[in-house]
Amino acid sequence: MPKKSDTARKLEDVGIEIDGDVESAEEDKKAKGKGAKKPAAGKRGKAAASEDGEDEDEDDEPPRGRRAAKKKKAAQADEEESDDDIPQRRCAGNRRRGKVRESGRDGDNEKSGRKNKKGGKKKKDGKGKGKDKENDKDSDKDEKKKKNSSGDDSKSDEEEESMSEGEMAKLMEEVEEKKKLIANIRNKPWRMRRRLKVLKEAQQFVDKFEGALGKGKGRKLYAYKVMMMKKWIKFQRDFENFRTSCIPWERKIKEVESHFGSSVASYFIFLRWMYGMNLVLFSLTFGLVVIPEVLMGLPYGSIPRKTVPRAEQATAMDYSVLTDFNGYCKYSVLFYGYYNNQRTIGLLKFRLPLSYLLVGIGTFGYSLMVVIRTMAKNADVGGGDGEDNEFTFAWKMFTSWDYLIGNAETADNKYASITTSFKESIVDEQENQKDENIHLRRFLRVLANFLITCTLGGSGYLIYFVVKRSQEFANMDNLSWYEKNELEIIMSLLGLVGPMLFETIAELEEYHPRIALKWQLGRIFALFLGNLYTFLLALFDEVNSKLEEEDSIKNASLWFVKEYYANYSANNPNDTGTPPPIDPADIIRGPCWETTVGIEFVKLTISDIQVTYLTILIGDFLRAFIVRFLNYCWCWDLEAGWPSYGEFDISGNVLGLVFNQGMIWMGAFYAPGLLGINVLRLLSSMYYQCWAVMACNVPHERVFKASKSNNFYMGLLLLILFLSLLPVVYTIMSLPPSFDCGPFSGKERMFDVIMETIDLDLPAFMGTLFGYVANPGLIIPAVLLMVLAIYYLNSVSEAYQNANMELKKKMQLARDEEKNRRNNKDSTNQVMKDLEDLLPNNSRPPPSPPENRAEKKHDQGGKSPKVKPGTAGGGVHLQKDVSLASANPSARGPVTRAPGPRGPGPLPGQPGPGRGQGPPPRRQ
Amino acid sequence: MGSRASSLLREEDIDEIKKETGFSHSQITRLYSRFHSLDKGENGALSREDFQRIPELAINPLGDRIINAFFPEGEDQVNFRGFMRTLAHFRPVEDNEKNKDMISGEPLNSRTNKLHFAFQLYDLDRDDKISRDELLQVLRMMVGVNISDEQLGSIADRTIQEADTNGDMCISFSEFTKVLEKVDVEQKMSIRFLH
Repeated sequence: MPKKSDTARKLEDVGIEIDGDVESAEEDKKAKGKGAKKPAAGKRGKAAASEDGEDEDEDDEPPRGRRAAKKKKAAQADEEESDDDIPQRRCAGNRRRGKVRESGRDGDNEKSGRKNKKGGKKKKDGKGKGKDKENDKDSDKDEKKKKNSSGDDSKSDEEEESMSEGEMAKLMEEVEEKKKLIANIRNKPWRMRRRLKVLKEAQQFVDKFEGALGKGKGRKLYAYKVMMMKKWIKFQRDFENFRTSCIPWERKIKEVESHFGSSVASYFIFLRWMYGMNLVLFSLTFGLVVIPEVLMGLPYGSIPRKTVPRAEQATAMDYSVLTDFNGYCKYSVLFYGYYNNQRTIGLLKFRLPLSYLLVGIGTFGYSLMVVIRTMAKNADVGGGDGEDNEFTFAWKMFTSWDYLIGNAETADNKYASITTSFKESIVDEQENQKDENIHLRRFLRVLANFLITCTLGGSGYLIYFVVKRSQEFANMDNLSWYEKNELEIIMSLLGLVGPMLFETIAELEEYHPRIALKWQLGRIFALFLGNLYTFLLALFDEVNSKLEEEDSIKNASLWFVKEYYANYSANNPNDTGTPPPIDPADIIRGPCWETTVGIEFVKLTISDIQVTYLTILIGDFLRAFIVRFLNYCWCWDLEAGWPSYGEFDISGNVLGLVFNQGMIWMGAFYAPGLLGINVLRLLSSMYYQCWAVMACNVPHERVFKASKSNNFYMGLLLLILFLSLLPVVYTIMSLPPSFDCGPFSGKERMFDVIMETIDLDLPAFMGTLFGYVANPGLIIPAVLLMVLAIYYLNSVSEAYQNANMELKKKMQLARDEEKNRRNNKDSTNQVMKDLEDLLPNNSRPPPSPPENRAEKKHDQGGKSPKVKPGTAGGGVHLQKDVSLASANPSARGPVTRAPGPRGPGPLPGQPGPGRGQGPPPRRQ
Repeated sequence: MGSRASSLLREEDIDEIKKETGFSHSQITRLYSRFHSLDKGENGALSREDFQRIPELAINPLGDRIINAFFPEGEDQVNFRGFMRTLAHFRPVEDNEKNKDMISGEPLNSRTNKLHFAFQLYDLDRDDKISRDELLQVLRMMVGVNISDEQLGSIADRTIQEADTNGDMCISFSEFTKVLEKVDVEQKMSIRFLH
């Protein structure tokens, strides 16, 4: 072995050792502080740390898994014990603590031994930077050892006290040291990253243990702080558990997902989301409109709008009338017409009309906000970690099983979900590999789109034509049954045939099923828009006719009241007092178009619910039932053959949900009760459909993975929201409300209620202020400003996107670097081992099994070319004479991780100029 | 039971185990009582049947492989030392250990050793390579009969294709390591033993 290089190596080595040693010494100290001095606190700290780490990891898993894990590994004591019995143990469990402390001492011995070695080396070097310190510490330890050696397992309290004092002193010293370090860190010749790290560690240490040093009060405070910290962490964990268990239907959905794949689950997640949103809308409407009206408004029968008219009273309670939402239903709090136009009601002077209008607008505002926010959030998720899955199958293979599962049922689900996920990946893979005839495919796709556009156009024209015809029919008498119901029949036929036709045409396209689903959804959506259009058209016709009718009735009604009083005074000339009020049931009523609209929507919703549920019952349940049980006595195999079991129709269900929500949005203003009905519907359909899908359906032939975000569904929802916003806003802004029903009766326009509030309830200057604000001179600049803001935000987000891309690239680079470093670690370690073997007093455990080493060698052998840059980075500031060393000065990551020993130990197969001395002298 | 069990454990044993595995004293006594309660034969060693009584392992498709990992080659008994040695793979890596790693060689709970443990689960014939057949066997354990053999074969092929870098149609440990590079093995293969 050449001497020169040997000494040089030693020098380098020592230089590094000092760098690395301060850190490790600190670590040791910390460990000691944790392990020996404050057994309880240290344990707590560790437990907390590990718990924290675990938390992150386990959040996704059901609480049960965690419990299982505990059960499995945690021997008999449960976690509570370990958390809470520490104070107890501190005063009572002396014996046990003694042991722990002993172990700590052992650790100290070992460490001090090791430190001595290093200290020795340092002396050789002459720098001796930490020498005195070391010695001090060692003597300190010796002292402690002496103290402790007298008593073994049976430790008296006194001893404990003295020991803790000794430790106290040491701790004090350490804290002082750390403080010094913090003060001097500027002067240390370290790299910035390292400095920051050390600084952070030191500060943490000081924070942690400074409190422990004080006597009496300070110490108690410290103990209290530790305890509170522990409690807080525990509370956070419990809270997290609680939050996870609060997510409704999570298990149900997971179950469905494990059997039917993420695509079907995505529908249920969407349903759940919808339920949440509707719950908020429902509480808004009921809390601010319906409940106040019920509690504080005039009771039923007090005024005409709250009374069933005399003519209808006989049949008002009939079942058929009630199911049509006439009779008592019509004159109830569920509908617009019931509300009175009194400005304030009750003792609280609740401004009901204002509240009604604001809630109506707020419903839309909230929905818009939530939909858009969710979309934005989902978009976030999508960009997160969707990229580079180069090891899809390998990961599925090696990491899919959840080893914490201890329940047979969960295990079944997991089996199913692993199978499903494999199937999903297979589908994805098949799609990726398909690239035979791109031109044919393109041609087919264009053809398919052409066909579908034709179909859509044709059905659009058909609808237009039928609507026109029905308007003609409306003016004619003696129509046949078909002519009367032509519109409905055509519409439902279209709804039936259209989707099937689209599906057939979509076969041509051969899209990946996920994309095919989107297309299918979009096309059916377009078709259904026709439905919506006819419905709205019919509704507006009705509203217009009612409005016309209303004028005449208004006059008649006024005339009736006047005549009543005139008659009364004529009949009873001597009665000078006020005449008795007319029975509210007798007054002539206007048609109240708002309630009519509300009833239309409610009826539509109800019939939609019925149709959906019956379809599931017949189409899925009955079919499954027949297939299952008639199969025993049938000529062909029903299960495998023609009828088979149904598949879950994702597109149909999603669209059903979306359109239903549109109905709710449109109708909620005219029928506040609609939201309640919808909440019930969503709630029941969650259970019903979950049951139906698990009981009657089979997974799709090609189970495909849903895109991570539900953004396509959300997009449809947003479109529907916008479309349903239009008619409602139109009616609020431009149609006159009925004169004798609803909270806005007697006003020109519904929004006048806001003007009224401004005029009457707000101070005068507010009125003028609003007057200015409403001035076009202000509105146009405001609009311009908004446009500018949109433009600005848009460009900002673009810039962010660019920055994101840059960051991603950087991350990739960092990952590569990390990779290199990790690959190097093995070699580092080996060299370390060699070094360790050289040293005397080797008290560490025997080296790891030989096959490990073999692998490592193999590893290096296989990767050495790749590893080079990292290696160079590692050696950069210790091996100035190695040509490789300066090749990549930018890769300084590895340096922080104790680069020391790489100096002497060359990578096998890479002999550098200064270190080509063959194998390290381990075998001497 | 716990106290009695731990009294059967000699202090020197504990110290040795502590040195070897890095478990703390109380963890060792705790795990010893667990060991003892698993040991139905009361002969100070666990047999395969003892392990199969643990529900988590019984329902685990790879349960047999995990149990195998506890047993040294060719033996069907494992004593407490061996038990602890295997469990030590799952000890969380603690902060203050990270630096020590570099000095004192690799503890049993290092990343490499954790990964190697996982690797062994798939390496049925212990030849330090995961072959296609081994993958197929594991796959069958995992998905049963729900996926056709042909597809399973293509999954296995794909897996090897993804992971194999040197073209020997097997997954060696280094390739395995590379595949799981981005998986936080330190976290995922850690069990929070009570202190």
